[in-house]
Amino acid sequence: MNEVRRLAAAYVGLLALLALTVASAFVDLGGFNSAANLAIAAAKAALIAVLFMQLPRQGVLPRLVVVAVALWLAILFALTLAG
Amino acid sequence: MSERIGAVPATYMGEGSGPRAWLLTTDHKRVAWLYLVALTVFFFLGGAMAVLIRVELATPAGDLVSDDAYDRLFSIHGIIMVWFFLVPSIPATLGNFLLPLMIGARDLAFPRLNLASWYVFIFGSGFTLYSVIAGGVDTGWTFYTPFSTMFSNSYVSAAAFGVFIVGFSTIMTGINFIVTVHKLRAPGLTWFRLPIFVWTMYATALVMVLATPVLAASLILIVLERVFGIGVFDPGLGGDPLLFQHLFWFYSHPAVYIMILPGMGVVSEILPCFSRRPLFGYTAVALSSMAIAIFGFLVWGHHMFVSGQSAYAGLVFSFLSYCVAIPSAIKVFNWSLTLRKGEITFETSMLYALGFLGLFTFGGLAGLFLAALAVDVHVHDTYFVVAHFHYIMVGGMVTAFMAGIHFWWPKITGRMYSETWGRIAAIVTFLGFNLTFFPQYVLGFLGMPRRYHAYPPEFAFWHILSSAGAVVLALGYLMPLFYLGWSLFRGPRAPDNPWRATGLEWKTTSPPPPHNFDETPVVDGPPYRYPLAEDGA
Amino acid sequence: MSGAVESEAFRDAERERQADAFGRWIFIGSEAMLFGAVMLVYLTARMAHPEGFGEASSRLSLLLGTVNTAVLITSSLAMALADLLVKLGRRRAAAWALAATALLGLAFLAVKGVEYADEVREGLAPVLGLPFAFEGADPRGAQLFFELYFASTGLHAAHLIGGLAAIATVLATWRRSTDAACLRRTRAVGLYWHFVDIVWVFLFPLLYLVHR
Repeated sequence: MNEVRRLAAAYVGLLALLALTVASAFVDLGGFNSAANLAIAAAKAALIAVLFMQLPRQGVLPRLVVVAVALWLAILFALTLAG
Repeated sequence: MSERIGAVPATYMGEGSGPRAWLLTTDHKRVAWLYLVALTVFFFLGGAMAVLIRVELATPAGDLVSDDAYDRLFSIHGIIMVWFFLVPSIPATLGNFLLPLMIGARDLAFPRLNLASWYVFIFGSGFTLYSVIAGGVDTGWTFYTPFSTMFSNSYVSAAAFGVFIVGFSTIMTGINFIVTVHKLRAPGLTWFRLPIFVWTMYATALVMVLATPVLAASLILIVLERVFGIGVFDPGLGGDPLLFQHLFWFYSHPAVYIMILPGMGVVSEILPCFSRRPLFGYTAVALSSMAIAIFGFLVWGHHMFVSGQSAYAGLVFSFLSYCVAIPSAIKVFNWSLTLRKGEITFETSMLYALGFLGLFTFGGLAGLFLAALAVDVHVHDTYFVVAHFHYIMVGGMVTAFMAGIHFWWPKITGRMYSETWGRIAAIVTFLGFNLTFFPQYVLGFLGMPRRYHAYPPEFAFWHILSSAGAVVLALGYLMPLFYLGWSLFRGPRAPDNPWRATGLEWKTTSPPPPHNFDETPVVDGPPYRYPLAEDGA
Repeated sequence: MSGAVESEAFRDAERERQADAFGRWIFIGSEAMLFGAVMLVYLTARMAHPEGFGEASSRLSLLLGTVNTAVLITSSLAMALADLLVKLGRRRAAAWALAATALLGLAFLAVKGVEYADEVREGLAPVLGLPFAFEGADPRGAQLFFELYFASTGLHAAHLIGGLAAIATVLATWRRSTDAACLRRTRAVGLYWHFVDIVWVFLFPLLYLVHR
């Protein structure tokens, strides 16, 4: 079954990314550890949003919400950390 | 006026009576009434605090209340007026009532959520009122840390928690409005056929949904610090009090637009109607609402010019603050051009709307002084700032609220009120307002700091003027309570469209039937098609 | 009137379904702003105390944190399966999947409780006036780390408990509800559950994996 395989792939992907992020903590990437961890977290979040929450099937409005929230969080982070 | 006296059609007001029918209603029109009653109570409660403040300030000596009691007075005045009146005012009452009517819908998208939002509001405000009764709060309406977390021994947690809870009700309203505008517009009602009031409600809802959670986060951390001893903002533990100000103003400056945008919407409906002219520059006015909502998020740092942020950040925020003035100016110019060559009549709501136009412009221009870094450092925390935000909030917002209540009163209640008394009240309010707050600009320039209950005698003249004005203003606000109250029970029946206005809400009966429209209306053109054919123009 | 509508406002069930979904996504968006603000506070504090945060973070149990992340990811899988099963009309199986989700959620909370207990025992919990002692270069930074650790994981746990309550409510009315209602409720609680999972996905590296 296609759907089940999709969910299984998401699950395996998430566990693999978890392993990767934990492993990266034991390697010194010269200051890029945090960046790598956050990138992996973003990838996991994307997997969950796309395959578990089925964001692409939701039509344009929910996607608009995601974009708007991402934009506003970016504003909040950028202007606060700049100050 | 006697067109439908015979067979009175079913109205939402006649659908069941008694507390159950009102307290468990999911009809957006009745929920609007629930909010109206609650907000009126809060308005007069906060107003009473303001009167006490002005009475204290009528003499230079601190003779009526102690300095500690004075801190509590202005804090509660601010907390009630901002969180429990201004933020929900127009959206929760007029917005709740009118949004579905204006877009030809039967109700809001989530009627039960709407009712729930009122209960959440009452619960949260109850918490805050408890803190007032138990001993008061002395942090000002902003709960600035570290004072609020470390030094204040007043009931900060309860008050902050109350505001936090009320935030949920704001978010619920925001979600409801956004989904309703997207999903429940009548056939033919495209985005650029929406009345400006609907545009401003949409923009307001956007700000509510995106900014309120950030405020909630900062309030949670305050409560955690006070209750669980988790000192995130406590500099003694390496915490950062400035961080609170960032989070607080990320919400609270946009919150200024939560408060002002709906007022702009109300005025945009009234000015075309009573000048019998289409709204000038409709598209620009509609889009400037969205621009205000978005720019509003970029300017919070201008509240912190003197709190030790970097010069670079100060410069950026100063520039962005000038930018946010542009869409507001676009609106003011378009309103003025709408009036040009119009057949202007001065009904009560028009008087209030014109008052809004004058006071908002004046207060907004004063805001430009504050956006300038150099001037701001001079007048920071003086009465200049107090006067500035009262011009925008009271002169602008409350005036617009009164304008809207008078404009839609016949639709809401199905009754007319006394035009004479209405006009008198509008003029008394306008005069009282200016008498109260113009002297405060002068006081600010002379260097009178805010939040003191006693002052040197040389400021006395301006303070006495201001206190006298407050009495006039209070009178102006009390009058509608009586003549509108009388109208509710005894006023003559209102026709469906007493002002010969455009807009779907005037196409249904006054007051509307339970599901707003007997037949779903179809829209075939732009809004504000003044003058109407029957005007004979 | 096509199909069954829940709310007075709608005449069309499909339109109502879209509106419901849209409303839920807006709610999730506003929750994201809440956690975003909390993480911003954390990041600012961490930039001010890089050393203290590094030292403090290494005192957390990486093993338990990793196990918990896996538990939560698995619970999300169970939730996604529940959604799929109810869509296929297999309501009994879907109810079991929902129950499994809730059990995994409880397991997460139990592990979190063990961690909290360990931290209290080691004097690493600056909460409720408990004794806090930290040997290191930047004890103040470490204290701030633990304050933010308890604040953010506590807030997350509160959301998880909310999710458990929601699942319990859905299951309690499961038998009496129509297929459409079951699907709608599973969707609603599922969206929320996955979101709470995403929050943890960010909290985990932020808190447990500060470079040691």
